[in-house]
Amino acid sequence: MSQSAVTSAAPPAVKPEAKHVWLPAAFLPRLITGVVILLAWEFIVRALAPAYVAKPSTVALAVPRVIADPAFLAATGATLAAVAQGLAVALFFGTVIGLMMGRSPLAERAVRHYVNGFYAVPMIVVLPLFSLWFGYSSGTRVATIIFAAIFSIIINVADGARSVPREYMEVARSFRAGRLSMLTGIVLPSSMPYLLAGFRLAAGRALIGAVVAEFFLSVGGLGYFILYNSRSYKHSEAFVGVLLLAAFGVAFELLVQWMTRRFMPWYRRDERGG
Amino acid sequence: MPELRTSSADSSTVMASGGEPRIRVRGLGKHYGALEVFRNIDFDVGEREIVAIVGPSGCGKTTLLRCIDGLLPHDAGEIRVGREIVTEPIAGVAMVFQHFGLFPWKTVYENVAYGLRMAGASKADVERKVPEFIKLVGLSGFEKAFPYQMSGGMQQRCGLARALAVEPNVLLMDEPFAAVDAQTREILQFELLRIWEERPTAMIFVTHSIEEAVLLGHRVIVLKGRPSSIHETITIDLPHPRTRDTLREPRFAELRERVWGTLMREAREAEFVLER
Repeated sequence: MSQSAVTSAAPPAVKPEAKHVWLPAAFLPRLITGVVILLAWEFIVRALAPAYVAKPSTVALAVPRVIADPAFLAATGATLAAVAQGLAVALFFGTVIGLMMGRSPLAERAVRHYVNGFYAVPMIVVLPLFSLWFGYSSGTRVATIIFAAIFSIIINVADGARSVPREYMEVARSFRAGRLSMLTGIVLPSSMPYLLAGFRLAAGRALIGAVVAEFFLSVGGLGYFILYNSRSYKHSEAFVGVLLLAAFGVAFELLVQWMTRRFMPWYRRDERGG
Repeated sequence: MPELRTSSADSSTVMASGGEPRIRVRGLGKHYGALEVFRNIDFDVGEREIVAIVGPSGCGKTTLLRCIDGLLPHDAGEIRVGREIVTEPIAGVAMVFQHFGLFPWKTVYENVAYGLRMAGASKADVERKVPEFIKLVGLSGFEKAFPYQMSGGMQQRCGLARALAVEPNVLLMDEPFAAVDAQTREILQFELLRIWEERPTAMIFVTHSIEEAVLLGHRVIVLKGRPSSIHETITIDLPHPRTRDTLREPRFAELRERVWGTLMREAREAEFVLER
């Protein structure tokens, strides 16, 4: 009988809609928009701006040169390493603080206004303070990244921890789960979708934080590379850096999506129904 | 109707179980703020006895069960399971929930293992028992499935396996089959009876289905009123093991009508619907 009760116990098949993205009907409008923007940019700059202003053709020509440049690679590596460090710290402490805030009314009362307050503070205004504390160094850059990233993680994880379905907690209590086991075994996995949402926001903010810090501190990195090249009238080179930053944004999004599908196959499946 | 009230819960318990009661509820009362949910609840459940509790929606039968599990505090009376006084969830008592309560991020295997792990079972124990109980409830082959990949009936089989895996001596069933379709429900009722015959325990089965109560219970407790109290306890003298044939026995129909009548008498306050 149990066989007949099965609706779909096989591993979820790849959804056919996923392939539609590459069909001409969906792809063509994107392509056309891109081409129109590039063409308009190219012709407007050619017609109106001085020769050093970046335009698609010179940026494209600059790509191989810049990518082969060891200084550029070192700068990219430095920025990414700082972002990874800062995000790791923000993820750990953000999750811990968020879980406490979400599950303990006392912790919530104690830190809520500070978290929301700091979340709203632009990272550019704390940079002068950080540079006094940590010097004009990569330490300040990491501190800025942590500051930029941690509050969106805290806020999201706290939301997730607060909205753990009552049923899960009830089951855990009924089976005599301890407090720590409830937090790590029930509250944390149940908050994962929120944590991921917070992490995606945080990653974007972390990248911004890194670039802003490099601009302000003149610490070597992708941000400083962009600043330095645009000040040296090498706009096309600077633009390659900008494009790379945008590419990181897209790549990170894809990575998170892939990880979600790989490690949390259950997430968002409930909407499809049994 | 005092003449219908059974003399005392205790006598029938001893009859059905032939020993000390496993669960002893005395003078139990519960308020939600100013609202009194139930009062003066007295009953026993024998070592190997199924007691079904029926009552109109909102009569507090689920609240009563949560008090017995120790999930909710009561504010009058006493609950004993074995020698222990219940104030919080205790070992040896497992609950099956109407909402299944499966963790969506865990596979069937991990969901079934949850109770064992919380009880501190060794790795070897978990590896031995989990497949055993998955097999018992007929879920073999679905160890790696996630809850979202299964029908409601299969999800509740998983919930049942999780509760059984800790080998409890008390099973608390909170309308476990209310959220599945009618055919699945019937199948699960007989599955539960089969499993109970294999591994009898004390069981409290809360339901709003009169048929289910009569089919499963050695006794049926009717909760009624606001605040509710035990209106009547009806002994179900149908022979065991109970099967589909039990449903066709004239005595089954008689007992079902008796419970129905008890519930419906002065039933102005209840919109009680007889299932099927």
